[in-house]
Amino acid sequence: MISNMLRFPFSMVDNEIESLFFPEAYRSIAGQGQSAYPPINISTTDKSVDVYLFIAGMNPDDIDLVIEKNMLSVSGTRKLPDAANDDKGSYRQERFEGSFKRVITLPEAVDAESTQAVYKDGVLHISIAKRAETQPRQIKISAQ
Amino acid sequence: MSTEKKELAAQENKTEVATLVPATDIYESKEGVTLYVDLPGVSKNALDIDVDQDILTIKGKIDLTTAKNMQPTYMDIRENIFERRFTLGEELDSAGIEAKLDQGALKLSIPRLAKHQPKKINIKVA
Repeated sequence: MISNMLRFPFSMVDNEIESLFFPEAYRSIAGQGQSAYPPINISTTDKSVDVYLFIAGMNPDDIDLVIEKNMLSVSGTRKLPDAANDDKGSYRQERFEGSFKRVITLPEAVDAESTQAVYKDGVLHISIAKRAETQPRQIKISAQ
Repeated sequence: MSTEKKELAAQENKTEVATLVPATDIYESKEGVTLYVDLPGVSKNALDIDVDQDILTIKGKIDLTTAKNMQPTYMDIRENIFERRFTLGEELDSAGIEAKLDQGALKLSIPRLAKHQPKKINIKVA
């Protein structure tokens, strides 16, 4: 049957239909164009500021991390495996490719010297300690 | 359970838990199809890839080490589940799928069935 032979080996129909009916359930990650790359989460504790960058498949040597005053900047270039030779056609290209830069303003009270950065499972976790004098201290009240 | 019911159940589940759609590149060659899927934060143990009939499902959970008393102050990523499904064409060999996960980047190679692989045909001169 001709129609069967022409059938694409791959179809995105399931996703496409679902996104029409359940747009709320489909919150996208950067790569589909609407937000900055890479996505970032920032959390704080009493002792530190923790920044998580979601940046899969990188060589850590290709990521530049600079703290200047209280600005943390993360930049680099993401190269994707080159699959574009004569033999191959591309159906869909959503992944981010190219140069990126994100700048994060840190609270004044961080100690840049103590920064630790670990890249694991495609997430770059940067942990910056707060200066000791700005960490909350329990103050004992003495009764008189 | 009939396939139809299964699908409905799957859809109902989906509306309850918001998921992230992982960015995906798809390439096709004569030998098969290759998918590259971005799943940052997903370790090998937290990744599920399965094929049910012709539906390929990729599902992964983001696992971040978080300290006690951590307060989120800014979040681009609010959900921790990646999920995406694809329908495989019948000429693809789901039993031959190979998966490789490196730093949150998944590469899935799906070969064509042997009978759909390119073949060289010799032409005899009469």
